[in-house]
Amino acid sequence: MTFRPYALLAELTYQCPLHCPYCSNPVRYPQGEELATAEWQRVFAEAARLGVLHLGLSGGEPLARRDLADLVAGAREAGLYSNLITSAVGLDQKRLADLQQAGLDSIQISFQSDEAGLGDVIAGANVHRRKLEAARLVRESGLPLTLNVVLHRANIDRLETIIALAEHLGAIRLELANVQYYGWGHLNQAQLMPTRAQVESAIPIASMARERLVGKMELVYVLPDYYETRPKPCMQGWGRRYLTVNPVGNVLPCPNATSIEKLQFDNVREHSLAWIWNESASFNQFRGTDWMPLPCRECPQREVDFGGCRCQAALLTGDAFATDPVCTLSPHRDRVDRILSALADDAVPATDWTARRNP
Amino acid sequence: MNRVDPNSRPALAAHVRLQIDPVNGEPILLFPEGVLVLNASAHEIVLHCNGNAKVHEIVTALSGEYEIDEPTLCADALECLNDLLDRNLIVLKS
Repeated sequence: MTFRPYALLAELTYQCPLHCPYCSNPVRYPQGEELATAEWQRVFAEAARLGVLHLGLSGGEPLARRDLADLVAGAREAGLYSNLITSAVGLDQKRLADLQQAGLDSIQISFQSDEAGLGDVIAGANVHRRKLEAARLVRESGLPLTLNVVLHRANIDRLETIIALAEHLGAIRLELANVQYYGWGHLNQAQLMPTRAQVESAIPIASMARERLVGKMELVYVLPDYYETRPKPCMQGWGRRYLTVNPVGNVLPCPNATSIEKLQFDNVREHSLAWIWNESASFNQFRGTDWMPLPCRECPQREVDFGGCRCQAALLTGDAFATDPVCTLSPHRDRVDRILSALADDAVPATDWTARRNP
Repeated sequence: MNRVDPNSRPALAAHVRLQIDPVNGEPILLFPEGVLVLNASAHEIVLHCNGNAKVHEIVTALSGEYEIDEPTLCADALECLNDLLDRNLIVLKS
């Protein structure tokens, strides 16, 4: 069976002016030089030939790359739909005009909260007001604006006002994503994990808003999976639809895949993207269903959730082949339950986390 | 909720790009985090959505071209366009 990648996440740099405690970047950064302009442009062209339609330009902070407009132009030339995934720090009128001219299709701005007090504490920098200004500029430019807000114990109770902010800023899409516990998020899990009561209050707020906003703003709400009984279909299956290229050129089946220590990743400086997608050991490791242990192998859900998340299995059980322990059919579900029961029902927001550092 | 009617003037929303999939030749709509594969008739309808033409004019043009009776085509076009409107992929010009 052959698979086609539909979306490429290009992590252009690990440099970032923000210090969010749940950053999806690895805690231990890989060694190596950032890919150069021409190398990225080649990767985008190769990706388009493989079938990729969507390009996410991410980081770190992609605006830290001075050649960003040239990269966007390369993406447009390849026919990719490009989305800038940014903190918006450094997005002024000139920069925005250059990117739009180069063919950028859309912009996703992260917000840490609906107001500066908490937002700046989470970001570890005074950035909330600059984000508001940048969002206004994006709206004026006519480029479509998406807001992304990562939810956790310190901000999930503000869901209503967060949704109101996205409406006020004229976003066409709002992503409300609960923290995923890998990398920095895992390191800070004790501070970030919301209580069950918080999660249960948030669900109806999100679903009512989603209904109310149909045709105006698309609202995506991702549940924190520790509170689920079945695992998420992580990446829609390993090596099936997505690929990530990190700043030093390693190609990953998911942005967190470096957390699986036994996997070796191939680099675009040594192989074509097509070879890595089709032939590399890392992409083939968990493709299909043959690798699955019980209970996944005989489970009717195996083509629905693909056994859940490999990184989560590795992190919580020490075995990347194990059933995602979020699943109540997993022999390791107790590892998730222990984490949840260690969290007091009346746990209050805590911000004594380890802030993300740059390499 | 705003709905499409025969006098609406639909246009693709600013964030939506109509493109031919280079891998399989299928017409697709691209938008943030999404792709929608269009069937042949939806593709024809979308190609006429320029913000000027009214739905009933689009239907008349297409029914002449494909020899399908207008009431059937009009119902199909409204269903297709209302679906696109719910997904925020088209806008209605006044």
